[in-house]
Amino acid sequence: MWIYEKKLEYPVNITRKDTKMARYLYAQYGGPDGEFAAALRYLNQRYTMPDERGKALLTDIGTEELAHVEMIAAMIYQLSDDATIKEFEEAGLGGTYTQHDHALFPTDTNGVPFTAAYIEATGDYLADLESDMAAEQRARVMYEHLMNQTDDPAVLAPLSFLRQREIIHYIRFKELRDYYLGKYKRNT
Amino acid sequence: MNNYQHYPNSNYYKNFNAQNVNSNQDLFDPYTGFIHGNMFPKTYDPYKLSKPYEIKPLNEQAQLLTQIDALKFAMIDLGLYLDVHPDDQNMLNTFNQYRVQANELKMEYDSKYGPLLLSNDSLTAFPWAWNDRPWPWENK
Repeated sequence: MWIYEKKLEYPVNITRKDTKMARYLYAQYGGPDGEFAAALRYLNQRYTMPDERGKALLTDIGTEELAHVEMIAAMIYQLSDDATIKEFEEAGLGGTYTQHDHALFPTDTNGVPFTAAYIEATGDYLADLESDMAAEQRARVMYEHLMNQTDDPAVLAPLSFLRQREIIHYIRFKELRDYYLGKYKRNT
Repeated sequence: MNNYQHYPNSNYYKNFNAQNVNSNQDLFDPYTGFIHGNMFPKTYDPYKLSKPYEIKPLNEQAQLLTQIDALKFAMIDLGLYLDVHPDDQNMLNTFNQYRVQANELKMEYDSKYGPLLLSNDSLTAFPWAWNDRPWPWENK
């Protein structure tokens, strides 16, 4: 099961409204390499990991990604909670306002809805772990793009934190994959 | 809900950031690791920022929560490491030192400011204390 703790993994306190930045952050909310996709990908793959190390790592990283979903949602909410219809339209979110008003809705930055097709799961632990390593790299790059799109310290600080987590997750997935290559004597 | 006598006094926590119980020189202390997003200095890989932002709590409640955040972060990051390296006794000891500290601070937070978890003792209060404080995404 999961237990809710009434705090963020890392604090988010944004006071400067920026509806455009809220839109860009949707990439990490409902996008193909976003935090929702990561959480569901790892939590679905864990059942077919071959040993206890893999089941533990996929469970724990998947759980941390759920906390990252909450951080991204908090950022989007704080950046755009007060946005006017005009500000939504100027940020390219006019259609989002039409369909969802100020509600959060899991899409990518261009409004493409989240789909389970983002959740890769092959049943082969090497294929899955190498896919996970690549997903962490893509998410890291996207955080760099997002950091290039803002100069607000209140936005940069959590983005920098989240980017660094992608690096650690990549390293742990790679360590597990290398361990499995030796343990199960597989070359590919 | 004020029945806890075993909290360390507040001076203990003033020295929190200076205190590094970790004997493992390859790790940041919890607060430094927390603001870096990474407990392992050798793997820290910055982008755009010359150094990570400090977290400055605006009141005592936020200060205590930041200490909890830092210790919980250390537990998350060391936990991922231990998932893949379960035989590292030194890291396991460090994990448990942070776990004990985190649990003490979480009990202090619960008694002073209310519940972070549905298992917290402050939920014996009437009326229902879970609704009492802002949700973590709210800042207005």
